[in-house]
Amino acid sequence: MIERWALVSGLRGDLETYDLIQRDLKKTRGVTALFVLGDLVGLERNCDALLDRLRNPHRGDLKPDCIYGWWEEQLLAERGFRGERKADALRLSQGEDAVSALLNTVNPSHLKWLASLQFGFIELDCALIHGSSSDVGDNLTSETSPLILLDRLTRLNVNRLFTARSTKQFHLELTGGGINSQVKDLNGKREQQQEVPKRSVIGIGAGLNYTLYDVGSDKTHFLTASSTTNPKGKGFA
Amino acid sequence: MNHAIISCLHANLPAVEAVLNDIDRQGIDTITCLGDLVGYGPQPNEVVELIRKRDIATCQGCWDEDIIDGLNACECSYPSQLAERRGHLAHQWTDDQLTDENKSFLASLPTSLRRDRLLFVHGSPNSQHEYLLPDMDAFAALERVETAGADILFCGHTHQPYVRELRDGSIRVRLQNADHDCDQGEELTLPMRKIVNAGSVGEPRHGSTNATYVIHNDTTDEIEIKEVPYDVGRTCQAIVEAGLPKVFAWRLSHGFEFAEQAEDASHVCER
Repeated sequence: MIERWALVSGLRGDLETYDLIQRDLKKTRGVTALFVLGDLVGLERNCDALLDRLRNPHRGDLKPDCIYGWWEEQLLAERGFRGERKADALRLSQGEDAVSALLNTVNPSHLKWLASLQFGFIELDCALIHGSSSDVGDNLTSETSPLILLDRLTRLNVNRLFTARSTKQFHLELTGGGINSQVKDLNGKREQQQEVPKRSVIGIGAGLNYTLYDVGSDKTHFLTASSTTNPKGKGFA
Repeated sequence: MNHAIISCLHANLPAVEAVLNDIDRQGIDTITCLGDLVGYGPQPNEVVELIRKRDIATCQGCWDEDIIDGLNACECSYPSQLAERRGHLAHQWTDDQLTDENKSFLASLPTSLRRDRLLFVHGSPNSQHEYLLPDMDAFAALERVETAGADILFCGHTHQPYVRELRDGSIRVRLQNADHDCDQGEELTLPMRKIVNAGSVGEPRHGSTNATYVIHNDTTDEIEIKEVPYDVGRTCQAIVEAGLPKVFAWRLSHGFEFAEQAEDASHVCER
């Protein structure tokens, strides 16, 4: 095994869940990196303790590399970190009370750190993003049109896109196909054939559901953190 | 019935007049304009007023948007530092020249127009700033048309006229998820779609000084790219007299914006 990544998202202030995942990872062989793909904060609880832990890992913790997600985007927008934009998406979907609640779950001392988080990471030929290359709120699932999935991969020129927004765990591989196109301009006509590149979109889950990725073998493992001795999970080639 | 599509007029009045005359000569009544009425050229008010007078259905281009909302394009929209500086100069000059009434008109323009399964935009359905170049990834090109719910997407922005037909497409997928023991394989058959780029009336970049536009027959779906010669010298002289960067006149007189083409078809300004 060359390298194994752990991919987590949707903690939404839940330190207990994060702690369970860290415990699992300590028992799991070969995990070299922990990526937290956004939604560190949420409405349900005060998020300060989790943010403190992410920013200042305990001894023995796998050090997390975090990006921002949809909930951070709403929080930062409402707090004036996104120019003139406000938390319009949250306001529209859940109302004014939800916006107020979100503001109360995060101490302002965390805002600069949250604002410093990146939109995504590119590691090897993989993109690690909360939503997609199109938008942090892009909700990609196994039901999303393959044409849209291919577009999101093409925009970044990567072979694998790890996404978290949907909260689902799935591994959708583009295995073949193609398209013909003809371009006519003032110089004449030309034909082009293009094949579908072998690429994948992986939904990593949220909360207790997380994903391990074996870089060398390209295997994905969907897991659920638990307080028992071994994490429940299933590996996929 | 034939209808004409024009784009990227760029305040070049002689070119706009020549193209409208050419369309009139063919007895075409329906004209759609894909924006960028202003920018680079020396007669922004005259061009906007002509479009208003003719009551031509128009969607908003990136220059029209930037004049209203302030410079929106990030530096990566420009291929070089000098191009960006020239662009900003032209923006300021145009902003100073345009009347409030004409600015209000530009502000009122929609970002897209739709007639049945025909969609008209300046750049792409995603953004006035996105370039749909003729050789961009075919699947990404098809995604732009299909996601927008169109059969034919008419666009401009690149200043290069073309017709691209995307057909015989398919994508095979295999799904694995936490709930299924077995792989699920399936094949999606993709629909045939077209992208039609109208080129540019006021600042052609296809290798000739002629203005370009397209004619679409909505019964047969035939599309013709038209070239129209106009008095380039008159516009070039007006550019110099207006005090705009002389390189705008130089490149117009060559019909090609040397080394200033956007190369990243998928770039969308996020600023």
